[in-house]
Amino acid sequence: MDLLQQLVNGLTLGSLYALIAVGYTVVYGIVQLINFAHGEVFMIGAFGGLTTYLALFQGTTAWWTLPIMLVGAVAASVLTAVVMERVAYRPLRSAPRLAPLITAIGISVFLQELVRLFYGKIPGLPDAKSRLPFPRIDGVTGPAFSIGGLDFQRPALFTMGSLAVCAAFLWWFINRTKQGRAMQAVSQDPDTARLMGIDVDRIIVTAFALGAALAAIAGVAQGLQNNNIDFRMGFMAGLKAFTAAVLGGIGNVAGAVVGGLTLGVVEALASQLGPTAWKDVWAFGLLILVLVFRPQGIMGARVVDRA
Amino acid sequence: MSTATTAPVPAAAAQDSPTILSARGVTMRFGGLTAVNKVDMTVHEGEIVGLIGPNGAGKTTFFNCLTGLYKPTEGEVWLAGAELPPKPREVVVAGMARTFQNIRLFANMTALENVMVGRYCRTSSGPLTSILRGPKFRREEEATRARAQELLTFVGLGGKGEHLARNLPYGDQRRLEIARALATDPKVVLLDEPTAGMNPRETEECKDLIFKIRDNGMAVVVIEHDMKFIFNLCDRVLCLVRGELLVEGDPGTVQSDPRVVEAYIGGSELDDEEDEH
Amino acid sequence: MSSSVSNPGSHRAERDPRSWRDRLAAGSPDSPDAPAQLNRAFVIGLVGVALLVASAFMSWTYNPALLGNVTLYGNPGTVQIYLLVMALMALFLLLIRKGPLSRLGRHLGRQTGLRALGIGITLYLVIAVGASIALTDDAMLGALDPGVYVGILGGLLVAAAGHLLPTHKAVGERHQRFPAWLEILVVVLLVALALAAAAYGLGIGDPALFVAFLAFVAVIAAGLARGGFFDWLSIVVGHHRTVLLLATFAAAFAFPLTQNGSDANMSIATSVLIFAATAMGLNIVVGLAGLLDLGYIAFLGAGAYVGAMLSESAFATIDWKPPFIIVALIGALFAALLGLIIGSPTLRVSGDYLAIVTLAFGEIFRLTMFNLDGNNGPDLTHGPNGIPAIPELNFFGFDFGATHAFFGVPITRFANYYFLLLLLIGFIILVFTRLNNSRIGRGWIAIREDEKAAEAMGVNVFGLKILAFAGGAFLAGLAGTVKAHQDVSVTPDQYQFLESAFLLAAVVLGGMGTVGGVLLGAVILKLLPEKLRFFADYRLLLFGLLLVLMMRFRPEGLVANRRRQLEFHDDDEALADEVEAIHTEKVT
Repeated sequence: MDLLQQLVNGLTLGSLYALIAVGYTVVYGIVQLINFAHGEVFMIGAFGGLTTYLALFQGTTAWWTLPIMLVGAVAASVLTAVVMERVAYRPLRSAPRLAPLITAIGISVFLQELVRLFYGKIPGLPDAKSRLPFPRIDGVTGPAFSIGGLDFQRPALFTMGSLAVCAAFLWWFINRTKQGRAMQAVSQDPDTARLMGIDVDRIIVTAFALGAALAAIAGVAQGLQNNNIDFRMGFMAGLKAFTAAVLGGIGNVAGAVVGGLTLGVVEALASQLGPTAWKDVWAFGLLILVLVFRPQGIMGARVVDRA
Repeated sequence: MSTATTAPVPAAAAQDSPTILSARGVTMRFGGLTAVNKVDMTVHEGEIVGLIGPNGAGKTTFFNCLTGLYKPTEGEVWLAGAELPPKPREVVVAGMARTFQNIRLFANMTALENVMVGRYCRTSSGPLTSILRGPKFRREEEATRARAQELLTFVGLGGKGEHLARNLPYGDQRRLEIARALATDPKVVLLDEPTAGMNPRETEECKDLIFKIRDNGMAVVVIEHDMKFIFNLCDRVLCLVRGELLVEGDPGTVQSDPRVVEAYIGGSELDDEEDEH
Repeated sequence: MSSSVSNPGSHRAERDPRSWRDRLAAGSPDSPDAPAQLNRAFVIGLVGVALLVASAFMSWTYNPALLGNVTLYGNPGTVQIYLLVMALMALFLLLIRKGPLSRLGRHLGRQTGLRALGIGITLYLVIAVGASIALTDDAMLGALDPGVYVGILGGLLVAAAGHLLPTHKAVGERHQRFPAWLEILVVVLLVALALAAAAYGLGIGDPALFVAFLAFVAVIAAGLARGGFFDWLSIVVGHHRTVLLLATFAAAFAFPLTQNGSDANMSIATSVLIFAATAMGLNIVVGLAGLLDLGYIAFLGAGAYVGAMLSESAFATIDWKPPFIIVALIGALFAALLGLIIGSPTLRVSGDYLAIVTLAFGEIFRLTMFNLDGNNGPDLTHGPNGIPAIPELNFFGFDFGATHAFFGVPITRFANYYFLLLLLIGFIILVFTRLNNSRIGRGWIAIREDEKAAEAMGVNVFGLKILAFAGGAFLAGLAGTVKAHQDVSVTPDQYQFLESAFLLAAVVLGGMGTVGGVLLGAVILKLLPEKLRFFADYRLLLFGLLLVLMMRFRPEGLVANRRRQLEFHDDDEALADEVEAIHTEKVT
């Protein structure tokens, strides 16, 4: 029974990783860029959600505030990601691989500090130098359900539900819309796609935006689960989500979902079998093993080895 | 290395000398596609062997099998009496060096440095020697430099050692690649389309250069599209069509073989592009 | 095939290296309107210089508390003297084009130097002076006196003059050769000047004055760099490398003697040196072998933890106290072993993936040190509390914790460590340069240029990559053992990812693959935050921004390694010619 409970916990954690991992994977699939600052996009999403709540509904706990918070979160994340792409990454597209990676580290530090230093300076918003409490929402937070002896936290159900909806949406978007098919074309061969009249720049922006939107939802979900958020939350989550993306096969959207869930379960089981303190070590160890022995991941990636 | 005569050695004489490189039944499949099918080739010391064939015939793939870049699906390659080691680096150490169809120089190094990199596998200064700078290091470093300069002169780039490789004209870059390959002290040199993009005069100079290499005791295998060049140069020519060995013999025989003519006129329009490693 | 041997002039003639703006401004270099153009630019420039000089003698603000009092007319303050120096330099650059010094102009006289100087002076006045006054005084812009505006106008005119000066067919300063003694003198004087500037700069207490001084140095350096001085200098230094090395170390050794036994600057200096030594080790991995390592701090940490665990500290967890030399060796070897392990995936992964693998290793190291606390694993590191109370080093009775006298000058605890670290960094630089200029260094360049071709030419790619990882780790481990004693305690949070990012930033900011650049980058990244406490809170924000801007506008770093510069600017043909010309000049 304990094992089953850990499985549930693992799937919850994994859903969160999966939502963020999609961002790494769609961007990588199209521009072969590890957007190292994606963890910060996730963090900004959480703050966007909190800001929307504080600005509009302070004091309410009604369920209908949640969708509007999500809209605010997505808007903040997407804006961040699009500006980031336009200002920092686009000029470096033909630069050696080192340049965008270092830029990404720079953006990551910059965004964290931006939130830490200036969030509280906006009138009406609390200081973000320490943890900020996240609002409680009727129905989504509160006491856990118990089904057949297994505890289901309400925010966990929200997270898993979000992943299910987002995964379905992604599948539809990539396979059934013109934009999505253009995306596939660009990831196969950007030069030919350009010749075929596809606006490659726009597709790249779309990929960034799509990843950001999912990361924003994950940000709100994490806030609901932990009851609080802080400006540092992006680093570890980003790294774990990247691990998940690699595990599933970077560049492969379905792989990101599978990888995320796998990683979540592995972590939960690792905490079950040994001291919890070592679970991050397990996750990173897994990342290294996968990169070294099966760099294409579980589901297989499009691009295996980038020099 | 001397810069002596350039007269062709009679083909028969070369074929009597011992075998240096031999491929037996080399087959390379990529998934369902058979790029090279049971090709045999024997190269003797001091021989110049040409490899011709229409686009997509598998010439470069065959080359890659010979140099350890690909491991053949079937068949084996022997170099100087031993089976070919599996890694490109070990192949170089065993005595076979190559040039690339699309030039792959170290663009931001000088010409001299490029050739000095070729000496890497024939020198041995390790990290400690390099840090301590003992007499051994100095001696080896000087010898490397002298040898590289000698090779540059040999290929006709003696005065251009300090130019960046990327700033050299196209023809010079091809020569530099040859000098870099020679720096590894090879027994066999494989040249992948050495005259591509050269004008007639440069092509002529390239031919003389290959003779000079042969006269220094090395065997040379050349892939080329330029028929005139190949037939004037080689002691023996192999014609590959659709991955199979079609004809082998002295230039006269191959030139007059109706199947070769057929392959070139009938085949070239059907096949699309040369395979690239 | 032409017979052009090392004649950069003939290369230059084929492609016009000037930007379209220069050509538009100057017309063709030989066109008849060039003299008129020259006259006009010359006059504009002279007016600009006159305004700058005038500004230096005017009041800049009414508030005597700011910038060391610049309220007086006719009596320039320190920051105004900086302006005077810059104005004189502008005058010099003008006069070599026309007038008494124009004979020098045969060799010197890139108009870009004057333009950079003008822009720099303007920025100096706007940011380091104007903004600094306006932001600290309640009257804001009202606190500015006319002197500032006059100066800004002067700076703009100088920049305009530099922009309008016709392109000038100088022989090129890099062909200019002086007798060896004179060149050596120049090198020695420059090093002495650098030492004096460092001692002077560190002695400035007022942060605003310090910023103004930094801006002043940056403007002069920019003017010299754009004017081609550093190209010339790099050739001269190429001929007198030993002199530079000896002079630099002599200057560095002399530095503590300028401090009169004060520990304030020496403690900063030692932390800068530790950081610089580690960055130099990372430079082997990143700058020479071209491998991105995002977990490098773990090697420093490995050395430090070994140093702490085997030390005489009451909290040391291993009951074996060998002498420090042995400990240092064990620390370095342990780090090298970790380097081997971390480097082994290079056989199979490269590029971005490798960077992530190293990041993950770095995190694993930190987490492991955090967890080996007795609860979650064996008690080796005391977890988050770390190992405190590590005793001072003691070499043959020489106690590093005590103050010693050297010809009457007191040498304090930090100065003791400073000397030790100077030896260490000297050793690391030696290893770096000697490896770079050897068969191994050539192999590394070849791998950076084209890994597959290098392998096909018999270069042991995997072996060389592993060597870079293990060698770099060895040096960092060595530095770590000293750091443990100098810091007195070792804790896991000293070795987090951000520290690796800082090290990488020092290498990238300074200039990958260079010695001077990485030292400069390390000094900037470590010294500025220490000196500018008032922006301590904005330190990381600016750091992030700096990384982004550097990658966007100057990815090769402040001091560019020529070859690296070409790698970052793949299609810049003019630059390739330039690099070749300088190289030819160096070897002949």
